[in-house]
Amino acid sequence: MSSDPDAGAPVAGAVDDDAPAAAPTSAAATGTLTNPRRVRHRARVRSLRGLLMASPPLLLIAAFTGFPIVLAIAYSLGHTGGLNSTTALIAQHQHVKTEWWGTLGAYREVLTNERFQRDLRVTLLVTVVSTTVVLALALIIALYLRLAGGWAAKALTVVSVVPMFIPVVIASWAVLMFYAPDGFLRSLFAQVGLEGPTFGYTVTAIIIAQVWCSLPFAVLMCASGVQAVPDALIDAARDSGAGLVRTTFSVILPMAFVPIVIAATFTAIGIIGSFTVPYFTGPTAPTMLGVDMANYFTAYNRPQQSIVMAVVVFVAASLIAVTYVWANFRSSKESGA
Amino acid sequence: MTTGLQLEGLHKELGGRTIVENLSLDVATGELVCLLGPSGCGKTTTLRMIAGFLEPESGRVVVAGHDVTSLPPEKRPSAMVFQNYALWPHMTVTKNVAFPLRLAKRPRAEIAERVAKVLELVNLTHHKDSRPGRISGGEQQRTALARALVQEPAVLLLDEPLSNLDAKLRVRVREDIREIQQRLGITTVMVTHDQDEAMAMADRIAVMNDGRIEQVSSPQELYSDPQTEFVATFVGSLNKVEGRLEPHGLTPEAGLTSAIRPEAVAVVPASSDGALDAEVVRVTPHGHFAEVKVKTLGEVELVSFVTGPPPAEGDQVGVRLGEVWRFRDGKRVR
Amino acid sequence: MRTLVKVLISLFMFLLAVFIVGPLVWLASRAFAAEWRYPDLWPTGFTLRWWRVVVDDPMVVVALQNSATFASLTVLISAAICLPAAYAFSRYQFPGRRFMLVALFAVNAFPKMGLFVALASLFYALQLMQTVLGVLIVHVLGTVVFMTWIPAAAFSAVPRSLEEAARDAGAGPFRVFWSVTLPMALPAILVAAIMSFIASWDEAQGTYLVGAPDYMTMPTQMYSLVLNYPSQVSAVFSILLSVPSAGLLLLVRKQIMGGQLAEGFQIK
Repeated sequence: MSSDPDAGAPVAGAVDDDAPAAAPTSAAATGTLTNPRRVRHRARVRSLRGLLMASPPLLLIAAFTGFPIVLAIAYSLGHTGGLNSTTALIAQHQHVKTEWWGTLGAYREVLTNERFQRDLRVTLLVTVVSTTVVLALALIIALYLRLAGGWAAKALTVVSVVPMFIPVVIASWAVLMFYAPDGFLRSLFAQVGLEGPTFGYTVTAIIIAQVWCSLPFAVLMCASGVQAVPDALIDAARDSGAGLVRTTFSVILPMAFVPIVIAATFTAIGIIGSFTVPYFTGPTAPTMLGVDMANYFTAYNRPQQSIVMAVVVFVAASLIAVTYVWANFRSSKESGA
Repeated sequence: MTTGLQLEGLHKELGGRTIVENLSLDVATGELVCLLGPSGCGKTTTLRMIAGFLEPESGRVVVAGHDVTSLPPEKRPSAMVFQNYALWPHMTVTKNVAFPLRLAKRPRAEIAERVAKVLELVNLTHHKDSRPGRISGGEQQRTALARALVQEPAVLLLDEPLSNLDAKLRVRVREDIREIQQRLGITTVMVTHDQDEAMAMADRIAVMNDGRIEQVSSPQELYSDPQTEFVATFVGSLNKVEGRLEPHGLTPEAGLTSAIRPEAVAVVPASSDGALDAEVVRVTPHGHFAEVKVKTLGEVELVSFVTGPPPAEGDQVGVRLGEVWRFRDGKRVR
Repeated sequence: MRTLVKVLISLFMFLLAVFIVGPLVWLASRAFAAEWRYPDLWPTGFTLRWWRVVVDDPMVVVALQNSATFASLTVLISAAICLPAAYAFSRYQFPGRRFMLVALFAVNAFPKMGLFVALASLFYALQLMQTVLGVLIVHVLGTVVFMTWIPAAAFSAVPRSLEEAARDAGAGPFRVFWSVTLPMALPAILVAAIMSFIASWDEAQGTYLVGAPDYMTMPTQMYSLVLNYPSQVSAVFSILLSVPSAGLLLLVRKQIMGGQLAEGFQIK
């Protein structure tokens, strides 16, 4: 709190902390002693200003993410009135509340549905497998860059970041074509007279495309984390008698723990709720819940069921998100001296 | 006297530049040798070659009779205390110190015992479960020292071990390190750019310049009998005069530099016997002594250290010169 | 042993390069291919015919215009809303600061498709369906995390001492921000702006749900294109869609590779 910079943002203009303090005593003006009340007052003004400046994005999120989610959850419990009435008007197979708090009818219907159960399994499978593969690849690349360096390692990193430059729609389409029945992979096998595998429109294609799309972020995160481990700490481990493998597992990876966890959680959360990738590359059935949500909403006109699925995915994603928050808090606790 | 560490003709180039040039040095067992020099002189490079982080283009590193030149750092019997201590922030003090022993696959009981012993030696027992981020700079330094000592290395390497401590702590810690080093009789190479530190701690000092060792001597000898102009200038204060300076006058001589320590310049009353006439140009008090700059022999300015009441600026005085060294091409000549 | 490691690394690099670049090359080359018969690795001939088909289609021009307008507006709105917040998160201590930083993240945790379904109810009620405002809200929502986190980390990375030195030299708080803090954080803000532009440029599901059929953007057209045209046309379209985002990202590749993006995702 030693400096007093001002962003000059419009919201901050309302409060001016250079104005005379409200404190009634004039003792502060007579000597170099600071008036504790004035200091407290200024701290409060700063705190309020921070809160004001930080609010707009939060309000936006609250209004257009938090509120609709609450609304939707209410709807999934059978509250069809109020703002939900327009949706409820056109919806089919609706469960309307039977108790004051609602009904679990929609949940019962969806959760016992065999197709949902199968697609939930597929969703979780794709999420776990893709995240594991992405993380493994990202770590190999990051460690290679850290420990070997040189142009080859740099080139490898650059190549792995290329997908970031490509829109997801295009990426999914490109991956699909590559592994399609008439795609590159099968054409290559056919050159030598072999029958190559067809991944297009399979769960495997979904995983391939997810890995393809998620790799850049994970590589950047892991590389940044591994790169931030100071040379001296690696040298110290080797000086203590640790080989490369041991140095990696005892020093580099634990120190890069937070960025790695962030890479993993963001990757997993992105994949578990994804729509475009499974929509383009996957089979009609089984597929991931993101596609089911869209189908139930637009094709079958059953928004309530769609919301129930979203809530289930949300619960799973929240569990992953908790890991992210925990890792962040753990890190700031550790670094605080 | 056995040789704890031998460096034979070490040569290192980095990016086409010669950093260390044909460097040889013998360190006796139990001896503490300081590599002293300005930044960029190659002292840290030399230390990193001893530790194994850099591979010399030619030359050998021999520890207690074994050639370790081709071994990676983890296989060498040396242990290093890094400049910024390089403590692993995710491990406690105990875990940091125990790590080398765990790598060496020592039995659990032995690890606990040795770690406890070394933590007691560096007086850190009360912090054994703290993380490095939560202890003071001096304590971090001692942790780093403990982590090196616990390995019972044949050679201890110290890379500017005191540079991150404040001035008061530095004096105490250097005494502590020296005391522990002598008690354990451990062969030690230390890198520093601080001559006071080197003087206070080392058995011998190797002054380095431009990738070469200029002189290896005891601290006293280094000060009173420097063999090169660089050593004379780098260690302590020095008056330098072009030409041949003698107690009774100055004769011009091309390529010859005369040098005299301020202590060897005595300020005496004007027209004293055998003294040169001089005028006081500036007086800088330093508490227990004053730095007095005089002008003599025309344009020659000399600095003298005066312990008694100093003369005033503008006073006419006499100067009596003690031992004068002469250098030609940087080398000491008669 | 060393050679074995080298061979393995080279093999890994080669496979990864094929895995990443292969699909792109395979798709892009289709845009110039006359006909492509399985199992040929090469088309029967090259042509620019498909480009004609795409460029002559008025719906493509409209989609391009829509995409560019939405993306630009999204960046501006998002910056106006989020940058002051980013500064506040980095320089002010206030109650609930941590909670708010984490709450921003909630946008990512709820599945996108589910959020759009939920938003639809609200948008119906507020009559925001098929409006520019509705589409913009959807787009801005997807940029909040970039626009807050990355600049916040960049503001935090500006040493306090530099600001204090400017204060000491006689600069007022606003001047300090304008001449010291902002220029130093600018590269990261640029990264955030470009990431936001691309997020908006690429957004398809939400735009389709809220905007279609009145407001079709490039990626939403891609959905229908893939089903209704030969693959060569969607290949041309893919190139058209990828060039702006690839070009913009190339502008800030140094910052992104240098860790500005990664830095933003660690809450401090």
